[in-house]
Amino acid sequence: MRFAIVVFPGSNCDHDAYHAAKHVLGQDADFIWHKEASLKGADAVVLPGGFSHGDYLRTGAVARFSPVMRAVAEFARAGGPVLGICNGFQILLETGLLPGAMLRNRDLKFHCEHVHVRVEQTVTPFTMQAARGQVLRLPIAHGEGNYYAEPDVLQTLESEGRVVFRYCSPDGAIVEAANPNGSAGNIAGICNDARNVVGLMPHPERACEAVLGSADGLVLFESVLASVRERGTLRTPDAGAVILTRS
Amino acid sequence: MKAKVFVTLKKSVFDPQGRTIAEALQSMGYGGISDVRQGKYFELDVDSSSADQTRALAAEVADKLLANPVIESYRVEVEQEPASSTP
Repeated sequence: MRFAIVVFPGSNCDHDAYHAAKHVLGQDADFIWHKEASLKGADAVVLPGGFSHGDYLRTGAVARFSPVMRAVAEFARAGGPVLGICNGFQILLETGLLPGAMLRNRDLKFHCEHVHVRVEQTVTPFTMQAARGQVLRLPIAHGEGNYYAEPDVLQTLESEGRVVFRYCSPDGAIVEAANPNGSAGNIAGICNDARNVVGLMPHPERACEAVLGSADGLVLFESVLASVRERGTLRTPDAGAVILTRS
Repeated sequence: MKAKVFVTLKKSVFDPQGRTIAEALQSMGYGGISDVRQGKYFELDVDSSSADQTRALAAEVADKLLANPVIESYRVEVEQEPASSTP
């Protein structure tokens, strides 16, 4: 399969995502500069972490107007799997492809550390090979990871099972002490209603090899590979949007 | 004409920066300042001599870019340029 890794001015985790896709997972991967209009026939799109446009105005606020985002939105609308990591998640929020917004970490500190997240939802292309309740040890590096959404939006996310990852203790307990940034409901990652667009603050692409301290992030990449293999590519609108039925 | 856009966090959103500033002021002895909310201020130089047009344009860009409607609200003030003396 082919990954498209979008690069904005200021993205700095694009190479990690490329490495994970190409050298660890052994698949094809392309860097797509933010001004390009085509995703080069990608089967999955990754919006990587970093500080696109210097986080000027608001994190992800300017990136969403880049030409490439039109292609990403179309790809998402057609059911293509899109993974927004950290700044990528922030960009998806600003674009409206995911609901809600990010606030400054509650303690105003930039958190650069390993955390644990619990997989809450396995019916997405990026978590289908994980188990519900599985705990992943992943690094975070962010100053604005405090997920916020209006009460009715939060209610919808919860009732529709669209919270994909939650900050937890090493043994999987959802407690305040495990929440590094104050995010509502310990939310670390969510998906859209069609479940093909997933955003998360932790960095799975930086946890694909044990030598980096954790290989728990690899399951997200293995999952989307399995998902694409199962469903075929999404080059035509009729190829079957990646809408997974809820079990 | 100049448009001033004030963007602030909605009341329902917790403002850790504002809280930190308020606490700093308290520790500086300003016990009479009970709360602080931090926002953003933008000045737009608009190519128009109509206050209504300027205000509408400022609101449009505030909606599209300057404010995130999920967490922020804004207000616009239009400043009349001082009238130039005509010969």
